[in-house]
Amino acid sequence: MEQRKLRVGTVLMGVGGPGQHNTWLDPEIPTDASVDIWWYIARAQEAEAAKLDFIFIADSQFITADSPNHYLSRLEPLTLLSAVAVHTRHIGLVGTLTTSYNEPFNLARRLASLDHISGGRAAWNVVTSGDAGTAGNYSRDEHYDYETRYGRGLESVRVAQGLWDSDEPDAFPRDTERGVFFDRTKQHALNHKGEFFSVAGPLNLERMPQGQPVIFQAGDSPEGRELGAEIGEVIFTFQPTIEAAIAFRTEMRERAERKGRNPDHILIAPGISAILAESDEQARARQDAIFGAKSFDRALAELGRPFGWHDFSQYELDAPFPDLPDEIGSNSFRSHAGAIKKLARDNKLTLREVVQAQIDSGRSPFVGSPQTVADQIQKWFEAGAFDAVNFFGTTPQDYELFLGVVVPILRERGVVRSDYMAKTLRGNLGLPIPENRYTAARGRSVDRAPDAEMAAIH
Amino acid sequence: MSRKLHFGLHPYGVGGPGQDGLWKDPRIAKNASIDIGYYIEQAQIAERGLFDAFFIVDSQFINADYPAHYLNRLEPLTLLSAVATHTKHIGLVATMSSTYNSPFNLARRVLSLDHISGGRAGWNVVTSFDSQVSKNFGLDDHLDYGTRYDRALEFVNVARGLWESYEDDAFPADLQSGVFLDRDKLHALNHVGTHLKVAGPLNLSRSPQGEPVIFQSGMSEEGRDLGARTAEGIFSHAGTLEEGQAYYADVKQRAALLGRNPDHIVILPHGGPVVAETDAKAHARAREIYEEDNDFERKLGFLGRAFGAYDFSQHDLDDPFPDLTHLTERGGRRGAEIVSDAQANGWTLRQTVEATSAYKPSPFIGSPETVADSIQKWFDARAIDGLNLAFRVTEELEYFIDSVIPILQQRGLYRTEYESTTLRGNLGIPIPQNPHAGAGHGESSASVRAVDLAGV
Repeated sequence: MEQRKLRVGTVLMGVGGPGQHNTWLDPEIPTDASVDIWWYIARAQEAEAAKLDFIFIADSQFITADSPNHYLSRLEPLTLLSAVAVHTRHIGLVGTLTTSYNEPFNLARRLASLDHISGGRAAWNVVTSGDAGTAGNYSRDEHYDYETRYGRGLESVRVAQGLWDSDEPDAFPRDTERGVFFDRTKQHALNHKGEFFSVAGPLNLERMPQGQPVIFQAGDSPEGRELGAEIGEVIFTFQPTIEAAIAFRTEMRERAERKGRNPDHILIAPGISAILAESDEQARARQDAIFGAKSFDRALAELGRPFGWHDFSQYELDAPFPDLPDEIGSNSFRSHAGAIKKLARDNKLTLREVVQAQIDSGRSPFVGSPQTVADQIQKWFEAGAFDAVNFFGTTPQDYELFLGVVVPILRERGVVRSDYMAKTLRGNLGLPIPENRYTAARGRSVDRAPDAEMAAIH
Repeated sequence: MSRKLHFGLHPYGVGGPGQDGLWKDPRIAKNASIDIGYYIEQAQIAERGLFDAFFIVDSQFINADYPAHYLNRLEPLTLLSAVATHTKHIGLVATMSSTYNSPFNLARRVLSLDHISGGRAGWNVVTSFDSQVSKNFGLDDHLDYGTRYDRALEFVNVARGLWESYEDDAFPADLQSGVFLDRDKLHALNHVGTHLKVAGPLNLSRSPQGEPVIFQSGMSEEGRDLGARTAEGIFSHAGTLEEGQAYYADVKQRAALLGRNPDHIVILPHGGPVVAETDAKAHARAREIYEEDNDFERKLGFLGRAFGAYDFSQHDLDDPFPDLTHLTERGGRRGAEIVSDAQANGWTLRQTVEATSAYKPSPFIGSPETVADSIQKWFDARAIDGLNLAFRVTEELEYFIDSVIPILQQRGLYRTEYESTTLRGNLGIPIPQNPHAGAGHGESSASVRAVDLAGV
């Protein structure tokens, strides 16, 4: 059997995402990195030179002045990735798009367009939007509740997949001899009528090079895990320890298997913030410096986000963590908010201690020299803690050491594949191309009459 | 400064409406409509010709009777973003429907393109012609005409309000003081209107041209009104010089009455020039193109578009044209015109198909000199500020650039180099003043704008 290989991607966060309040102060990071397409293109090309599987663009659509710097002003993911597509050849392009505030027809079309433009390298990270305030940007008084969001999430993906099957692979013969551009028998309207959407179709774009974009999914709640097990091909997550990561991966594989899926077709890809330096000692010092310099006030403000941007500055810092009513945060990042409340309750923490714990939770298990970090990654991978890592870099130095040293060490050891195996993201991730449902149905039909079908061609 | 011509290019890949034979031309790549390389090449050639804009038309409903290009094409903004980093000067205009998008998503995507292109994005506002498109977006019926245009006006004002979320200097990003954002320069829109409710702020800063250029297409009364209120560029249709003049005068006058500077709307009707060495050769080529495309079955099939994708094959070709007025209420206005022409002339279905697809030569056919003369005549007569051009094959685009453009340049009618790296700069359209700038800490903007408009 072919040896299991670690897949590697990287998340691009420009001037700094959650907790990275001071990243932009690094003089090597352009202050407009988050809106400069050439910054993204350069990072993608570096990642491609290191033969990474994908770049990953996270997203959200609600901000306040307290949002992380990268969130304040950033490019829309698919517009961004389309520009990157024409400056790269092999690397996968993962865009985060919400099912709560998009129409499936528009989503399906834009993703299919990116797949055609990139020659089969598009992926969709399915999210349902954690920021309750997003509702206000989309003519709604309130964010959808959890159940509705995940119901829409699943139905959106199913509708998109239906639209992606609109044209069978041979729907466009483009045969000048016979005068047949389009075979109308190979195009199918979806005529979906479901709980949340009714979408007729067909999509006005032919089957894409990799059949369908790869489906990424992120969301740690029970609803999120169910959705991931149902439709996710790559699961983006955060896991603090090797034990937690193994348990998560085991659970997700079991959930997928219970749904009749091949567990090897669901890859677990945690985000990792490796902190690298030439020596272990220097790396530890760097981590201390990073966390020592964190802005307490920014962290206090940012603590509000999982609670629907609740304002924590109104409370006494050294009093016990406030007893918040359940409805605060119930429609936002519910798992995250719940975990914070539980942490405070179980440990009888003050607000100040909770903020400090949030700052410290950004500390990474992957700290050290490139050799040490490569050892840690290999250990986690071989223990079954993940199938892929999604690297959060910040400074150019992080990228140089991770892409230029850590990945080559893992490649040398045979943990990471030696070169791209395919032109498509599916090919490189080892994921199958989903068969077109109508073509599959034809294949199953024993008494099909090809001649009659040909005669029906316009 | 003397008035100068402006040109756009709108590519149709393997063939738009009526171009049923085009895909068979060996010079056309059979997958042109979905090949990003085709679009990049077209845009680069247009940029060599110093065109103002590369313009992508769009729709989101098809059936098997639709033109080859419509059956299978890339989404406009995804497409233009890929073109953006392979061009430097040409504007990038995407057609997007205000009926089946949310303003927050749309404003964000267009402004993202504006950043990616260094200030060259434009949005061509349409309300969707195909009435069946509603069924791709969860609605049984297309919004009616009045509602669509009312929503479009509100939508454009909301998008503009979102584009003003940040003031120009909202991001000092000053390493010394440690100030990344000046939070006083971030403004929520808090729009509450008839069709839309959008809080904002948008999560994207102003672009090198401030905000994208608004284009509008639509010749109806409602379309003209929307154009006069919001458009900075107009993609129109003008069959004759007189029609062009009448439309031009009407829209510019409407804009003036609304207190706008009429020079800040650039009117670019569709133009499909056919240029050859001599007038005779050009007319022969135009006729040849017509014959290549003249496919009665395809034309019968596509006639259904104006009637909500109606299937005409169920009627006898030699029966009188059926009265389908009830199918023309929600889509574009073209269907009603066809019914009224057919009734006035007593046409059968066959005659209607033939009449609507009769040979109608472009006003811009001839030798390079002749075509330059016609363009100049229309321009001087204020029927156009320029043309949004379409060519059958790349060779014909290149021939136009190499033969007609130099004549127009010699006559002082066309630029010899780009004036600017932004679309606004090249069109001569000013950057809209951000109402928040210097105005202290206020909120709202779409509502302020609406009051301004209502006040004139």
